[in-house]
Amino acid sequence: MSAVQGFRLRLRAQPDFRVDLSPLQPAVLAGLDVVEVARLELRHANAHVELGELFDIDALSSEAPELRIEGDLRRFDRIGQGMDGGRLSVSGDVGDYLGAAMRSGDIVVEGSAGHLAACEMAGGRLEVRGDVGDFAAGALPGSMDGMRGGTLVVRGKAGARCGDRMRRGTVLLLGDAGDFCASRMVAGTIVLAGSVGTHCGYGMRRGTLVFAGPAPDVPATFAETNHDIRVMWALLSRSLSKLHPAFEGLPGREPRRVVGDLAADGKGEWLIAG
Amino acid sequence: MVRNDVTIDPTFAEAFPMKATRVLITAHNDTWARHAAVAMTGFATSVIACGCEAGIERMLSAEETPDGRPGISVLLFSMSGKELAKQLERRVGQCVLTCPTTAIYAGLEEGEAVALGKNLRFFGDGWQISKLIDGRRYWRVPVMDGEFVAQETTAVVKAVGGGNLLLLARDTDAALAGAEAAVEAMRAVPGVIMPFPGGVVRSGSKVGSKYASLMASTNDAFCPALMPLAKKTELDVGTRCVMEIVIDGLTEADVSAAMRAGIEALVARGGEAGVTRISAGNYGGKLGPFHFHLHKLLGAEGGL
Repeated sequence: MSAVQGFRLRLRAQPDFRVDLSPLQPAVLAGLDVVEVARLELRHANAHVELGELFDIDALSSEAPELRIEGDLRRFDRIGQGMDGGRLSVSGDVGDYLGAAMRSGDIVVEGSAGHLAACEMAGGRLEVRGDVGDFAAGALPGSMDGMRGGTLVVRGKAGARCGDRMRRGTVLLLGDAGDFCASRMVAGTIVLAGSVGTHCGYGMRRGTLVFAGPAPDVPATFAETNHDIRVMWALLSRSLSKLHPAFEGLPGREPRRVVGDLAADGKGEWLIAG
Repeated sequence: MVRNDVTIDPTFAEAFPMKATRVLITAHNDTWARHAAVAMTGFATSVIACGCEAGIERMLSAEETPDGRPGISVLLFSMSGKELAKQLERRVGQCVLTCPTTAIYAGLEEGEAVALGKNLRFFGDGWQISKLIDGRRYWRVPVMDGEFVAQETTAVVKAVGGGNLLLLARDTDAALAGAEAAVEAMRAVPGVIMPFPGGVVRSGSKVGSKYASLMASTNDAFCPALMPLAKKTELDVGTRCVMEIVIDGLTEADVSAAMRAGIEALVARGGEAGVTRISAGNYGGKLGPFHFHLHKLLGAEGGL
């Protein structure tokens, strides 16, 4: 094992067009030296640009594969796309497709992310300290399944369609959600500390929405069940309480349960603990 | 070796590899957890005809269980992983699923996964839903008291079955009292069960029979009734009653610890109490790979 396992990239100047940063995989870069990393080719509009032209690159000596990116990366898409292991952190805002289809590892973004963050994410942990755009944890256009594993934590707000077609995994949303949250959701868990927009759970088939904050308006296509759910609530709330301090009080609550969307099987559930 | 007027034979118990699993049953209170566990471990004394050997390991406090309710830990042993899976499914399906307020979880993390709620979920007739929490899948089956929650799988590990102690006593009262005291001490050891009624078996068996269709028959060498008749007897005129305690454990060390606890309890009571000799059952050491030498269990302290 070489001493150098990570790199720090500092953005020198904004590119003229959008840049695809998907080749920056901590686990792949861990075996390279600074010169090799600087020569990595990135897609830049319809041409290519070398990483060294946009960023100052320093080696970091770290225990595990790591990548720290500093700067305003709103023009940089697909950061951590398909990432499989290692740690990636970004100090500013990022573009679209953050952590799309990532399989394992850890991504932390200090700023906000664009659309389709964590879309089709399959594993690992992705935390956005700011907001996320539309279709977070959702599916790519034309795809049948959204997020299918791992944990997405958003400390700010989410745009519309958060968790669209989501199939597995956990989303913790500390801010408010936009319209159509959990639309067409297939399964998985979304925990909301804030409020939701209109049409929440539209076409939801299975899965769980936990409302830890304000109670939502229950749509006509959802119906209340009154049975004893303490066993499942204990298992779920204990697990969620460990994921973020905002949810520490969940195990002590006794949530209401409604099921729906009755127009689409009705096996989805809302646990309203607020 | 004689300890406190109890003779400990220079022999060993011979045990066999088995497959085992541990499951945790929780319920609204410990009464109902116990009802489920008692039903599930019923008719599970010997693999000879029960399919498995099962027993209650211990009660669990609410702090020790996955869902924060009182519970009970159950161990199941069988000769093969396939048979164990079959017995587990039947017993959980008929005795735990049916028991009010219960839920069931895997009690072991490492090992080959076998179905726990995986197939029982179909009782939900399409209304069952699953939830993946911290990498473990749970099935929620709607039932008349709410929902039955069962973890999808539990782990099966290699284990040790057939550790044993033979208690040779002055009479029936002394044998029972000694066996009860030994079983109580052994129940405090984790990872073991004593599968017979009350932990004690009075019909110890030998391999084979004069009847071709029987694979086991009465252990004539230890039957007081056959002392003057059997080809070989282990008894003397002062021994009128013999009891056996059979131990199944998750590991060889667990079985050793339980046997040691049992012997120590009997030695502490002393030969005066009526259990005058402790022996063990074996088949000459050719059949089972695990040998528990009674003297070795007591270590150097035993004064060999």
